[in-house]
Formats: sequence, C-alpha cells, structure tokens
Amino acid sequence: MILIIGGSYQGKLDYARERFGLTDDAIQVCTEDTLALDFSRRCVAYIDRFALNRVRSRLEPADALLTDPGRLKDMIFIANDVSGGVVPMDPVLRAWREACGRMNMRLARQADEVWRLFCGIPQRIR
Amino acid sequence: MSTYISGGCKNGKSFYAQRVAKASGTPLYYIATMIPGDEEDYARIRRHRDERAGWGFETLECNRDILSCLDHADPKGSFLLDSVTALLSNEMFPHEGVDMDAAERIAGALETFVDRAPNTVLVSDYIFSDALLYDDLTEAYRRGLAFIDRRMAARCDNVIEVVAGQYIVHKGALPV
Repeated sequence: MILIIGGSYQGKLDYARERFGLTDDAIQVCTEDTLALDFSRRCVAYIDRFALNRVRSRLEPADALLTDPGRLKDMIFIANDVSGGVVPMDPVLRAWREACGRMNMRLARQADEVWRLFCGIPQRIR
Repeated sequence: MSTYISGGCKNGKSFYAQRVAKASGTPLYYIATMIPGDEEDYARIRRHRDERAGWGFETLECNRDILSCLDHADPKGSFLLDSVTALLSNEMFPHEGVDMDAAERIAGALETFVDRAPNTVLVSDYIFSDALLYDDLTEAYRRGLAFIDRRMAARCDNVIEVVAGQYIVHKGALPV
C-alpha cells in the first residue's frame, strides 16, 4: 500500500496518476459527502474529505480502515495534510484535524511507501 | 542558477534568500512587491529594509507586471523576488474586482523572467496545510499560489523548503 500526503494543491493526485497510470474510474475522489471508502478502486483520493463527513456524523474515520489488510495491499491513498495550521475555533474542524492525524498514522504504519509532495516534487519519507 | 524557496512564515526564508542572491553575482537587485496598506505594513517594510541594509541590494519597486523591472536592470545581475505570495495578491485583488487569471499570467511571466535573468531567487509561502475550510475566493488564491509554486519549482534549478532556519532540498542542491 502507498500513502501520498502533502498540503493542498501540491500535486499529489497528478503524481499518483502519472506514476501508476491511473484512469478516472480507478480513483475514488472523496468529498465531504462521501459516506464510505471504496476498496474496489485502486486509489482513494482525499481521505481527509471523507474524514470530515465521518466526524460530522460523530464517527471515527480511522475505523473505516479496519478491513482485511489484503484489501488494502495494492491500494494508493491520498491525504491532504491538514495538520499545519492554528487550532481551529470550530470544534468539528478541531476534531477533524485530529482524526486526520490518526488516520494518516494508521495508513503510514501499514504502508510500504509514504510519499510527501511539495510544490509538485515527490519525496519518499518512508 | 535559479532557486525557489518556500516554507512557513518566520522560518528564515528571506534571510536565506538574501544569502543565495548575494552569492549569485552582481549587481544585486531586491524586487519589492508589497503595496503597504497600513502602519503594520510600513513597519514590516522598515524591518525588512533594516535587515537588508549593508547587503548591497538595489531596490526595484515592482508590485505588478514583474517583467517591467527588467527594463531598469541588468539581466545578468542577481535578483531576489520576495515574495511571489504578495505579487499574486496584488494582481489577483486589484482595487476593484478579482482577476482569476492572475496566477496563470504570473507563472508565465516568472518563467520568462527566469529565462531572461537566470540568477533569480524567488520566495513563496507555504499556506497549504491547515485544517480550515475557506471561502471560494481564499481557496482560489491558495490554488493559484500552489499553481505558480509548481510551475516554478519545475522550472528553477533548486527548490528549497525552509523550516526553522533549516533547509530541505527538494530539487537541485543548496546554493550556499
């Protein structure tokens, strides 16, 4: 499994598309309305958006990853790093920020590779 | 040798950028981008001027249309543009309205700039890792800045992230 992390608009999804030759139907692009992760796709992008949906429903986003590790083995996860700002005033955003951290840590522990994108440039950090 | 520098605020980007520019040749130009709006801005400008005093920079005032400052400068010199962030905000948010084409235009102009003046150091700001949901305009600004960052990171010889006065090389090497 591969985790690609980085700030907004840094080129994470472009990197995944290019490196793995992903077509659109191989990618689940999560939004704030995404209710479940689709493990049948090769790539799940913006798990932070999915996490926001879960947090708003008072669910723990990282629990959505508690599945047969075999299902995650060949997957690519893309996460916006939302950990680098001031603590949000809004309690939901506060909980979201922390939930994203827990989810990213869980993914990174299981990942064979972790990449961070900075200004479009990939750096392997695990 | 062109260098792109980014990172969080007050981490030492400007200081390092000055060192890189100083080592890149003469004459030495500082491209001042900020349009002061209040006393806080004037104080910031004074502080930056004091920090630059003695470095030997000639200041080029240029808060829009970045290529125009090459009209009054020797392109073989060393240029420091601090910052791309201010340049984008000047062009994207003029006195009236919003210019949604600003990022695309600036990226193109900066590519031409670096072609014509190869010894250029560009400073940007890393504003992409916080847990806030912004309004559409702020989000467009962040997307625009990242667009310029990525285009220029692809074009420049060196890409350096500055964290707490330390330097992470993402491309090329540390110039100094």
